[in-house]
Amino acid sequence: MIDQASMTRDGETAAVYADGVTIAYDARPVLRSVSFSVPRGGMVGVIGPNGAGKSTLLKCMLGLIKPDYGQVEVFGQPAKEARREVAYVPQTEAVDWDFPVTVEDVVLMGRALEGFFGWPARKDRERAQHALDQVGMTRYAHRHIRQLSGGQQRRVFLARALCQEAELLLLDEPFAGVDAASEHAIFTLIDDIRDLGKTVIVVNHDLSILERFDQVLMLNQRVIAHGSPETVVNDANLSATYGGRLALLDEADETLRQRISRDDRHIARTATD
Amino acid sequence: MTGTLLAQLQIDPSQVLAPWAHWLPQTLGSMFIGVTCGVLGCFVVLRRMALIGDALSHSILPGVVGALLLFGMVGASEKWLPLWLLGGAMVAGLLTAVIISIVHRHSRTKEDSAIGIAFTAMFALGLIAISSLPRGTHFDLKCFVYGEPLAIASPDLWLMGIICPLVLIIVALMYQRLKLISFDPVGASALGVPVQLIHYLLMGMLAATIVAGIKSTGVILVVAMVITPASAAYQLTNRLWVMLVLAGAIGGVSAGLGMSLAFTVNAPTGPSMVVVVVILFILAVLFSPSHGWVFERLRKRKLAQHVAQEDVLKAVYRLGEQRIDNPQPVGEETGLSPSRIRKSIARLVQEGLVRTVDGVADLTDAGQKHAQELVRAHRLWETYLVKEAGVDPSVVHDQAERLEHAHELAEALDRKLGKPETDPHGSQIPRG
Repeated sequence: MIDQASMTRDGETAAVYADGVTIAYDARPVLRSVSFSVPRGGMVGVIGPNGAGKSTLLKCMLGLIKPDYGQVEVFGQPAKEARREVAYVPQTEAVDWDFPVTVEDVVLMGRALEGFFGWPARKDRERAQHALDQVGMTRYAHRHIRQLSGGQQRRVFLARALCQEAELLLLDEPFAGVDAASEHAIFTLIDDIRDLGKTVIVVNHDLSILERFDQVLMLNQRVIAHGSPETVVNDANLSATYGGRLALLDEADETLRQRISRDDRHIARTATD
Repeated sequence: MTGTLLAQLQIDPSQVLAPWAHWLPQTLGSMFIGVTCGVLGCFVVLRRMALIGDALSHSILPGVVGALLLFGMVGASEKWLPLWLLGGAMVAGLLTAVIISIVHRHSRTKEDSAIGIAFTAMFALGLIAISSLPRGTHFDLKCFVYGEPLAIASPDLWLMGIICPLVLIIVALMYQRLKLISFDPVGASALGVPVQLIHYLLMGMLAATIVAGIKSTGVILVVAMVITPASAAYQLTNRLWVMLVLAGAIGGVSAGLGMSLAFTVNAPTGPSMVVVVVILFILAVLFSPSHGWVFERLRKRKLAQHVAQEDVLKAVYRLGEQRIDNPQPVGEETGLSPSRIRKSIARLVQEGLVRTVDGVADLTDAGQKHAQELVRAHRLWETYLVKEAGVDPSVVHDQAERLEHAHELAEALDRKLGKPETDPHGSQIPRG
């Protein structure tokens, strides 16, 4: 039951296939007809200004939000059913660094679906050890997460994603607030992860490292451009992405919102549909 | 003044052990409740739901009164009454939890307001329901609100004896799940863990524990037994299971000591328990080895002392021998006050780095060596800051002045820099 469109040219299922994804909060569209596909083993950078819908898109791929229209497939399944295959690395601000857990505890959370109520078995611990080894954090296994540098904190969550043995990794701003050296180290790590055959999607704020991705997805509520960095990263696309929303679309939204408050049922479908 | 106050408290130290001598089941029951509240409280505190704890305890009133009403209508046997009350309380508690999330999600009401609205509404409903209880039904609102451990009778003890172990066993089994959803609810639901369901399980356990323990502290103060032991334990450890154990211990000890305090000063028991637990909390905030205020201050003072000492050592190294009764040159060099210089020299003498002969201080051989290490570290740090961190050479001195006290790192620095001969200002870097 695989949709033809979700196949790439060589007949393999795409890692992520989004088709006409539209999401509105309170009838304010956050994503408008977003369609794209990411091949297996791809490394994609998603850029866009605040409020462009980047986090919402990630949540769709995680199966946490169901699109109002359209669909997201992960490895040919609806996102919600592919959860095991998707690992999420949250933004640092979203993590409570004072929570009483050690590095090892966090990494083991990647194995939460295994065993009896998530009690780690020996092989889960071995897997966690291995993941810590892969990110070079073995020495810090028993440290509290507050006692780590910013770069080390990212690596712990990358290790958790590796420990989960997911095929698709979603990274929410892994480079925010780390110094240049840590950024380089994290990127090397992401390269290594990709070399393991995993698909990596990175929400990213730093425009200076776009050429290191295979593909760049420029998002501002809709897809502005999607392709290799050489072809899509140019002034025209960048200013379309960051140069404010399209005024007419905003106006249309406002009209629709007002119609909702008058109980008009023809809602939220947007001009781009 | 204090005399009269104390006299009014009617302190009677001979009563300290009275709870254990004459009210053993009640005391042990209250302690058991204290342990369970403490353990559950860890998740309440870590998930920032303290207000929900308060809400739950108040909102079980209509459940309890409703159960009494139904019980009267059905006319069941008296011995099942506690179970009826438990059922009513749990239904009311869970209902409140559900109402809070519905109101919060489907209106623009903020969560704290939703909580406030829901539990006061439930409490009001309960108060109204009390007046509709049939004549002859005994409902002691005062006991419900303030608690009365001495009224704990055998059905209550049975309830505690079932609920507390059950809750502790469930927490132990579900420990990994509870840890996960408390630490990373988004990640947990992305994995497919039923976060909301576990949330309601936690709320249910909390409601059950509160009902079982209502006679110990009453609904108003029970939230203290939930939040305060956990918050005290949070100060003391970085491991979740240690926090659970500590919070349980603090909760149990507070309940026990609270009973003693109540008997000694002839005061109500619930408030006495809360006073004890708050005292323990304050002690934890002050004296926690890792996060405590006192040790933090001590650590800072010790570091400041160490830095002052090394600065004085370096000044003597640079200026040559110094008369102790004239601290001015060293003062100009280091910016330290005369009294701190005197103290630093005294400590340096103790450590064998400085010797004093006829009121003149000079470096010993060990002191010479240590001072050279400092100079070396200072110059290496300057080199590092300029070369590796791109700091302007004209301002690098002050930063290096601070960093030189981390002289243990000098060798690693030296290797990293490729054993430089001179610092950015052209001064020789002494070899260790």
